[in-house]
Amino acid sequence: MAIPGNHDKRDGIIFSLPFLIVYFMFMVFPLLFGLYISFFNWDILSPGKFVALDNYKRLFTDEMFYSSLWHTIEFVLITTPILLIIGFSMALLVTGDSPLSKISENVFFLPYILSMTVIGTLWAWLMQRDYGLFNQVIRHFGGDSIGWLINPKYAMWSVGLATYWWTAGFNMILFSAGIKQISKEVYESSKIDGAGYFQTLFKITIPLVKPTAVLCLILQIIASFNVFGQVYVMTGGGPHGRTRVLTQYIYEAGFRYFKMGYSAAMAYVLFFIILLISVIQYALLGKERS
Amino acid sequence: MNRRNSIKTKNIILRSLEVILLIIWIFPLVWMVITSIQLESDVISESLRLWPENPTFENYQKAFRSTQILRWMLNSVVVSISAMVLTLIVDAPIAYAFAKIDFPGKQILFWAVMAGMMVPFQVLIIPLYQQFNAFGIVNTLAGTMLPRLALPVGIFILKQFFEGIPTALEEAAFIDGANRYRVFGSIILPLGKAAMATVVILSFISAWNDFLWPLIIVSDTAKYTITVGIANFQGTHGTDYALIMSGALIASIPQFIFYAFFRKRIIEGIAMSGIKG
Repeated sequence: MAIPGNHDKRDGIIFSLPFLIVYFMFMVFPLLFGLYISFFNWDILSPGKFVALDNYKRLFTDEMFYSSLWHTIEFVLITTPILLIIGFSMALLVTGDSPLSKISENVFFLPYILSMTVIGTLWAWLMQRDYGLFNQVIRHFGGDSIGWLINPKYAMWSVGLATYWWTAGFNMILFSAGIKQISKEVYESSKIDGAGYFQTLFKITIPLVKPTAVLCLILQIIASFNVFGQVYVMTGGGPHGRTRVLTQYIYEAGFRYFKMGYSAAMAYVLFFIILLISVIQYALLGKERS
Repeated sequence: MNRRNSIKTKNIILRSLEVILLIIWIFPLVWMVITSIQLESDVISESLRLWPENPTFENYQKAFRSTQILRWMLNSVVVSISAMVLTLIVDAPIAYAFAKIDFPGKQILFWAVMAGMMVPFQVLIIPLYQQFNAFGIVNTLAGTMLPRLALPVGIFILKQFFEGIPTALEEAAFIDGANRYRVFGSIILPLGKAAMATVVILSFISAWNDFLWPLIIVSDTAKYTITVGIANFQGTHGTDYALIMSGALIASIPQFIFYAFFRKRIIEGIAMSGIKG
């Protein structure tokens, strides 16, 4: 900008400084420090001895690490596709001509702003074996109680159900924004051409909302990879470690068994996996666009 | 005729789907309220009863009297409000710099800051704990709040908004002899109110809902935030579900209030930044 007494360089630095200081202290430095810790046999108070890559090597022979990683991937697979479908369906409903659309939008979105520990306790209660609502209803109609959270076969799906209820509204918001961006003219001309609702849905809405879907997919996979609170509250990782996810193992290794170096190494592996997924997704996204 | 029929079928399908979803989405919340106004002995019943026989507010009284829930709420209020105020103080200037000031290395710096959004918090918990231990702020509310300031989401929202403020306004002020600080304080900040409100609201909600870090950094029950307190309710109150549900409802009051007042901003902010909890 051609202004007298231009101090852009100085001003840019001064305006950036407050954030850069906290960013360095609470993001950049710990990120590097964590990598450093991961090369040590470090307990809670004192750095132990340097073990180079031993923590990483040990990970690959640790069965608990593999099972936690698998449970995390399982959770991603259980939640991601269904959350996208529910979110998209909700968006269709609330952007359509329904007389209920305002109410629906609020009701669908509301759970998302509640904390996951509230959601977790609520759903643990709904799914409680003896007195929970779900089993009461099932028994009322003559069925047998289901061990929602205590049967190893169902536990992860049960946590998934609570998660659908919690975050579908988030995807709805993104999809609604995407649908609203499609120009009215496209719809009008398809109407003139005599296309029905479902034809328009499959031929116009779905193809045009694809960029939003990709964004939702990326955000959802990352969010699901970071799952922790719901599992911690609803099952505590049980039954028999059946729902222990990676974040929980990182937490337990660090703050229950105080193997800080090992925990840090595991966190870096998780970081690497998430980074890899994001890079692949953005690459695919870029290819799509060009 | 055929066409009208198909529109009718479509409407029936869509409305039924909508009503089913509405019921599924409303009912858990309703059930939370119903459980919370029953006697503990009525809650523990094997048969289905959809309406409380002896409605009571006893559980709410009990929650306030015999648990530390008020204390936890207060802790969360302190943490969330200081997080939202400080976030704005550090985010707004740098967002303005990114949007409007030409300084060397700006692009690289911007991407370096945005890259922070890719970092999963789990990577930071061990080193941050060590750091905070050295600072002597383990088990304090300050320690609970500080890591939130490094999250760059707010910068992204504010930068987008500041970019939309016409540069001509600033130039006019410069010609009148104002400097950057003057322009920032008397043009940018007043015009950016809407975006700042969005940032403030989103950072309040996400600070209020934060769980992993408060769980780690605080060990003293009197320093718990509400999310950690509620998570431990089940451990300490076992099967007293009526009490647990009233606690969960009390813990959600601030979000209900925030949502009632700032619904539009919350939704806009999320659509804009795509932050996911």
